[in-house]
Amino acid sequence: MGKVIVVTSGKGGVGKTTSTANLGTALALIGKTVVVIDADVGLRNLDVVMGLESRIVYTSMDVIENRCELSRALVKDKRVEGLMLLAASQKNNKDDIQPEQMKAICTELRATHDFVLVDSPAGIESGFRNAAAGAEEALVITTPDVSAIRDADRITGLLQHEGVEPINLVLNRLSPEMVRKGNMVSQSDVVGLLNLKLIGVVPEDREVIASTNRGIPLVHNKNSPGAQAYMRIAKRLTGQRIPIPELREKGFFSNILDWFSGNK
Amino acid sequence: MAKSIVVLRAYQDGLHLNITPTFSVTEVTEAIRKEFERMNQPLAGVSVQIDMNAPLLTEADLAYLKTELQDTYGMEVRGLNIADGTGDSTGVLGEKRPLAARAERGRIEKTRVVRETIRSGQTEDFPEGNLIIYGDVNPGGEVSAGGDIVVLGALRGSAHAGMNGKLSSVIIAMNLVPLQLQIGNYISRPSWGQKSRGYPEIARAGTEDIIIVEEL
Ligand SMILES: Nc1ncnc2c1ncn2[C@@H]1O[C@H](COP(=O)(O)OP(=O)(O)OP(=O)(O)O)[C@@H](O)[C@H]1O
Ligand SMILES: [Mg+2]
Repeated sequence: MGKVIVVTSGKGGVGKTTSTANLGTALALIGKTVVVIDADVGLRNLDVVMGLESRIVYTSMDVIENRCELSRALVKDKRVEGLMLLAASQKNNKDDIQPEQMKAICTELRATHDFVLVDSPAGIESGFRNAAAGAEEALVITTPDVSAIRDADRITGLLQHEGVEPINLVLNRLSPEMVRKGNMVSQSDVVGLLNLKLIGVVPEDREVIASTNRGIPLVHNKNSPGAQAYMRIAKRLTGQRIPIPELREKGFFSNILDWFSGNK
Repeated sequence: MAKSIVVLRAYQDGLHLNITPTFSVTEVTEAIRKEFERMNQPLAGVSVQIDMNAPLLTEADLAYLKTELQDTYGMEVRGLNIADGTGDSTGVLGEKRPLAARAERGRIEKTRVVRETIRSGQTEDFPEGNLIIYGDVNPGGEVSAGGDIVVLGALRGSAHAGMNGKLSSVIIAMNLVPLQLQIGNYISRPSWGQKSRGYPEIARAGTEDIIIVEEL
């Protein structure tokens, strides 16, 4: 029996889709069977980020409305064994799906796959509720800025209310540049405030945008810092104990982070 | 834990500014500026008494401080109390106790214990009595109680003690960095982005609409 994990954030544009695509691919690369579900009905883009857009024939809406079997709606990613996408309908909107219908899909998929990752839309309304309906665990994505953290906190409260547990935290786009501009909250401040288990820190990485545009998830190119971060998170998701490498170990970062968190 | 060198306190006879005597007048002025900035409350027109344990500042320094409080902050300095004894601040204040100590002893009060963090968008109201939070109150979270509020973590959101008007209510947090504090109908919005002082603090209604925060 696999795990259903919702990838969510509250605030938009913080890296839910990027994280879903990369963690899904990374988990498949280390031998797991994975389905990534786009729950952003009406604004789908997980298929684009994964380069599978042209191969979509059916969507979750077709499954819900009994136009096709769930297994037939899954789009296989040919670049890696064991990775499938369930696309969202672009024609519908978020209220066309009910939480129980999403839950039924997740329940069916987890019986035959190791991981089901659900890419949640931004917000706290029905789209989020549908995405979270079938999930037992969550990855909360935040960037190190006050409003993203505030929304991550809000979404965490809602997830806890639904009994989702564990809720792990991914800190995305941590960058020295933001620190310099004084816009960044330190890693320890984020974790201290949200009081969640930090499962990984993904640095700001230009390769993310390049890979998004190419439709090839970053983790296929193992050299980039972002790819390495996602590979480590995937391994942690499978239960491997890999310490979170402190970005502060690298001279420059270390000074700034220490300075910001008062550890000097 | 290092105390602030100036502390504003509320006593039955009004506000007192306690000054630790081992500092120069420049340091005292700076400490006053920081403390008042942190409080971020209008102090104009408020009457205050200066208390010091030892006469280590010169008379000229004291005159300067008095002018500073009056001209810069618009406060009224109603008196100066200098004890020449050594060290013990209770010597100065004698039997006048801070307001919180007035709490009725021996009474059993209704108290609700909440064993989780109050996150953004969540609220916890307990008009019937006191509230104890075994966790944090995050920005965007709100707690209110008829009596006292105790946060055994960080208070970063909003707290309203004495919501039915009981001005003797207090707010205590291990880490007091709130967006807003309210006691009865007194409101304070401490200046934004304050760092924790690293020790537990207590907020109580002072006199004249002022909420006083000091080391617990
Ligand atoms: N670590 C990173 N470094 C650089 N750019 C990033 C990083 N993570 C995400 N981005 C960029 O941020 C943008 C938003 O990312 P993404 O679409 O994954 O966010 P999202 O949370 O799914 O957004 P939405 O709420 O709209 O669904 C994209 O342009 C992506 O390339
Ligand atoms: Mg998205």
